[in-house]
Amino acid sequence: MIDIVGLIAPNILWILAIVIGGTLISISVHFISVGGAPAAMAQATGIGTGTVMLAAGAGIAGIIAAGAVMDLNQDLGVVLGAGGVGAMVMLAATMIVGTWIYAYGVGVMPVSAKVKYDPITKYRQDLYVSQGTEGHGIPTVAFVSSLIGGLLGGFGAALAYYALMKVGTYAYAGVTPLAVHDLNLVGVVAAFTIGFFFINSVIPSYNIVGTIEGFHDPKFKRWPKAAVASFLASIPLGIVAVIAVGALALVGGL
Amino acid sequence: MEPLISMGVLALIGAAATIAGASEDLESDVGSQSNANSQVQLAPQMGYVHRIYNKAIAGEPVSNGMMCTIGATGALVLIKHFGFSPLFALVIGALIAAMVHGSYSVTAIMGREASQARFKQPIYLDLIRSHTPVIMAFAFLTTFSVEVVSYLMVYALAHPFPFVLLSFLWGVVVGSVGSATGDVHLGAERQFQQQPFGEGLNASQSGSIVRKAESGLRNGIDNLWFCSKFGGPMTGVSFGMVVFLGTWIILVFDPAKGNVEGWLSNLLGVVIVIVLCIWNWHIEKETREKYGPFKEDKVEEVSA
Repeated sequence: MIDIVGLIAPNILWILAIVIGGTLISISVHFISVGGAPAAMAQATGIGTGTVMLAAGAGIAGIIAAGAVMDLNQDLGVVLGAGGVGAMVMLAATMIVGTWIYAYGVGVMPVSAKVKYDPITKYRQDLYVSQGTEGHGIPTVAFVSSLIGGLLGGFGAALAYYALMKVGTYAYAGVTPLAVHDLNLVGVVAAFTIGFFFINSVIPSYNIVGTIEGFHDPKFKRWPKAAVASFLASIPLGIVAVIAVGALALVGGL
Repeated sequence: MEPLISMGVLALIGAAATIAGASEDLESDVGSQSNANSQVQLAPQMGYVHRIYNKAIAGEPVSNGMMCTIGATGALVLIKHFGFSPLFALVIGALIAAMVHGSYSVTAIMGREASQARFKQPIYLDLIRSHTPVIMAFAFLTTFSVEVVSYLMVYALAHPFPFVLLSFLWGVVVGSVGSATGDVHLGAERQFQQQPFGEGLNASQSGSIVRKAESGLRNGIDNLWFCSKFGGPMTGVSFGMVVFLGTWIILVFDPAKGNVEGWLSNLLGVVIVIVLCIWNWHIEKETREKYGPFKEDKVEEVSA
């Protein structure tokens, strides 16, 4: 029988880190400018795919980067930075190519329909929105907002990954600790982090309902509700994950 | 590994990723998967019966993630259990994935078109026969390329994730990238070519997709021909950039050498992101000047 209390007690800090990671992921999704299906028809501003899918794509790129760096260097700051930068690079590469297609393939300029003037470039927006649409493309404000979202989401995902790796490699009494390179540990932790990311990016999608342009969108103000929901959802998730990964370490891996 | 050899491997990974991105987008164009599918699905309900392959097995990231996982699992079993050479095993793995994807495509179009019988949408069997092999061919290319990316990353660049898991992850990312970039070319331009070039789709025109081709009725392969000129290759560039740049920054400044290198690699990533952001702003400025506004500014007219 596995001593659950004995597993949770030394890992309280990491449960807290997982909960913070989940909350960060939830907040980050509000920043990412997604237009859903309408954006694929140049009918709404933002990246032309669904909220969860895009956030998950960026988060996964962050997890891949954080995993690669964690294997080489276990410094918390470096791993978190790698996660954030990995997600930002994925979003930036997607958005710049999206802009090429909007500008040269569809012939529309990037424009927001939610504000009259772009808060960053101060460009006039409303005159450039074509008839019957809610804006199109990815204007500078949406690009910057998405990058902030990518950074926060990558941080959150990397924090959850880092915390679980620490739980898995902790030296429990009477057990040889697992190595950071242990394939089974890395597999279980990465799979859990991805599931965790999906859960925390679905919760804010109830706020977003299809499309959001970024921090300048009125829907962005709803973020505290999703953050609280994700915070609460992440507590049981964190406890279960720590028990599962800790138990794996206690029995000395698979 | 020697930094120079690592760079060579990375170049190969980047090339494979570019092919994966391009074929992923073209696969979704033939079968009209992803976001632009909403219009193909809507068209018969608005009275526009069409001859376009209509499959949306799942969202593109999930569908591609599944395909790559099946391919990688098959390949790994062949390598570890039957002692196949990796290249041969990766090809067979991709073949298995393409066959599974083909069967899902057929059930998807059959189910979708049958559910639209009340709108007089026929099920064209010749369309299924001619398009499904094309879809499977692109699915094969995508799966094989993603497997190559993951295999090289795990076994040549020593990425810690298991091969199958990494294939799944890159499968989801390639779907996410393809859905966000190349499909815009299909959804916003190709499907609505009768609308004036240079504006977004008016919401009142939803479902009014082009149904006539240069010769005969338009089908998915006509859409493929058009999108392979711009949307597909651009998606390849995008996924290539994601894979290449994300790994390159770790190879240039190896975090294993210390925290300073780790932070430098992160800093390099931030510099890349800032450069892309400035480029986006530049395109925004250029297109605003060249294309001009859609409406007159009434307030300024009055004051003038």
